[in-house]
Amino acid sequence: MTEQFAIAVSGLTKRYGETKALDDFSFMVPKGSIFGVLGTNGAGKTTAFKCMLDLARADSGTTLFEGAPLTPALFERMTYVHERPALYGDPRVIDHLDWTRRTYARYDAQRAAKLLDLFGLAPKKRVKNLSKGQQSALALTLAFVTRPDILILDEPASGLDPVNQRNVLDLLIGEAAGGATIVFSSHQIGQVERAADRVAILHRGKKMLDGEVDLLKADEKVVEATFENDAPSVNGLATDPSVRRVVRAGRLLRAFVRGNSDDVTRHIAALEPKSLRVLDQNLEDIFLNAVAASDGDAAAAAADLEG
Amino acid sequence: MSAIFTVDPHSGVPIYLQLIAVVKRSVALGVLAPGEQLPTVKQLATTLTVNPNTVARSYRELERDGVIETSPGRGSFVRGNGSGSASNKAVSDVAAAAIDGAVREAKSIGLTRADVAQLIDQVLDRWYPARDGQEAS
Repeated sequence: MTEQFAIAVSGLTKRYGETKALDDFSFMVPKGSIFGVLGTNGAGKTTAFKCMLDLARADSGTTLFEGAPLTPALFERMTYVHERPALYGDPRVIDHLDWTRRTYARYDAQRAAKLLDLFGLAPKKRVKNLSKGQQSALALTLAFVTRPDILILDEPASGLDPVNQRNVLDLLIGEAAGGATIVFSSHQIGQVERAADRVAILHRGKKMLDGEVDLLKADEKVVEATFENDAPSVNGLATDPSVRRVVRAGRLLRAFVRGNSDDVTRHIAALEPKSLRVLDQNLEDIFLNAVAASDGDAAAAAADLEG
Repeated sequence: MSAIFTVDPHSGVPIYLQLIAVVKRSVALGVLAPGEQLPTVKQLATTLTVNPNTVARSYRELERDGVIETSPGRGSFVRGNGSGSASNKAVSDVAAAAIDGAVREAKSIGLTRADVAQLIDQVLDRWYPARDGQEAS
């Protein structure tokens, strides 16, 4: 049943001393999709990838690739790019490509030439003389020339200029359209919003929410009402399972709703507000709300919360 | 051709719904003609830098709505107007969405049903003036 999923992560937990770097993290990535792991710095994104690939030993949890645990054979068809790529300084760009060609049967020379051109990488330049952004571009080039079926990319566009950031996203999109499966992490919401069809929001090691980006947007709404005087407290709103939280500020009342907002809208309309509207939420709103509603902003969230 | 398609990924409106709206509007306005071929999913995804599955979803919904037809191996095309159905459907969908938005906005700022009806009558009179005692249509 899990075979339709290129990657199935289940209950991944990792402790460093007293700190839970990752707490029961689960997600599924269907074949041919792009999965974005979104989180603030230190949210556990890199730890998650390392545990998935057994580069760090998880305390518990499993990761299945195409329905089976990771095997050496799979490394021929998959690639992982670390956020700080490990490249040799003295050798040239072309040397790195040469090693990759000799290691991977699926090495694509045409593609290598194309990518060097795209990123403006001079083949004869020594790696230590490349800028940080160019080194990241080289690491991505080395990953993409092997035509992998599964790509795990930790902050793939960090350190790159806006043009090359867009180039990287287009590369991911082209690969996924060709059937590859991609998991990438980012703290840049715009990148995830564009390239990913699915997203998990990670905060302090815990998954806040996950799902299809478009369905999350369709699902998460804000019902906003203004009143003649101070916004009244609304009985039952805080305990309504579809209401994530309620914020009151003077004459303004906002209810963050998951799923169908009709009932909540009717409920608030019965209080005869001066105005009432349902607002869409973009991924940034959804992300910030998820973080604010968690323990991260417990004090502020609690102060805003309906009794 | 791809210039027709624009989306705002940062909007709270799902990207696939934005794409559906653009295609319907383009068909309604005749910018996309019956029989015209749409870009492939991969082409459009890389042109707009949006996820290919998102583009594929909007194409599926457009096909279900009878606006486009997809034949495997050939691509996606705007439905021919044998009965004019694709463009008629698109026209009414675009108009319905616009009117719905306007009425929703009016309601949100507290207008009653009667207020809105009166406003709509005024707007209708402006855009569809009755001539020579003949009922406007």
